[in-house]
Amino acid sequence: MALDKSKRKKKKFVPPGLMLTSMMDMFTIILIFLLFSFSENPEKIDLDKDLELPHSSSKAEYSEGVKLLLSKKELRLNDELIATVSGNEITGLADDAMETSALYQRLKTYKAEEAKPEGESPQAPHVLFLCDQSHSFKTINRVIKTAGLAGYPNFQFAVLEGE
Amino acid sequence: MARLGRLRKQSEENTELNMVPIMNMFMVLIPFLLMSAAFYQIKAVNTSIPVHSNAPAPNTPVEKAIKITVVLELKADEVRISALSDQAEPRELAEMETTLARQPGGDMSIVALADFLKRIKTKYPASDTLLLIPDDTVLYREIIQAMDCVRGLESETLFPNVVLSGSLG
Repeated sequence: MALDKSKRKKKKFVPPGLMLTSMMDMFTIILIFLLFSFSENPEKIDLDKDLELPHSSSKAEYSEGVKLLLSKKELRLNDELIATVSGNEITGLADDAMETSALYQRLKTYKAEEAKPEGESPQAPHVLFLCDQSHSFKTINRVIKTAGLAGYPNFQFAVLEGE
Repeated sequence: MARLGRLRKQSEENTELNMVPIMNMFMVLIPFLLMSAAFYQIKAVNTSIPVHSNAPAPNTPVEKAIKITVVLELKADEVRISALSDQAEPRELAEMETTLARQPGGDMSIVALADFLKRIKTKYPASDTLLLIPDDTVLYREIIQAMDCVRGLESETLFPNVVLSGSLG
């Protein structure tokens, strides 16, 4: 009799089921957000913390070119470190010695490579210039003047979309 | 009969949807979308710098419409506007000279500048070039802001060819 009672008290085993509804809700929200930020051409440019691009209303797309990056601390040409920056000064890039600077020499090399017949591009050669928004024109002018002297007078200033 | 009723009761209880295949699909879709997501949009502002050339000027036919080049000097506390042209009369060019006040290091009077440029564009609609000469102390973001203003909007283009130059002289 006692055995029957204990048998009767034992509950039927129910396999534990996961509550997937809340997880589905979360995934649906993530999926919608990602669908909205979907881009056929995800940006190939990595923005580091020392580079804060200005915002602009421009809608023009950038095209591939020589990439010149002037961050708060460095001057890079196609990811190659050219000089260090401290405040408004770029090491080795003075107003009176632009043609002896490392930037000028490297740009001249790129220009010579582009001039080869097999490397002909339909577009005029240009520099894609990524510059930190806090730099003064004095600093920028040295860089763009040097690029102009090396045969790159056309620029595309990289900016972030938005006012 | 009782057995049939029990079966019907069981099938009514098991009407929960099987979410596992949907979850699997989400797990595939989310990494794919994460890879192709763009969290920031980079755009370009086209510009150029003046270059010295010894090549002779091309023989272009003389156009009836007068073209002028607007010169915008961006100073720390003001914006000076003037115009250059070998087709327009010096008196007409002098009429386009003006100075707009600007807070040092702050935003310029975009509305006043855009209004003045619109008036020049209305008078000389064939003109499309502007020479921007910032002071050494002007910041890059202020230069971009000025370039946005002088290019105009998509609906109303003002001077799309902006040439950036250092101070003359």
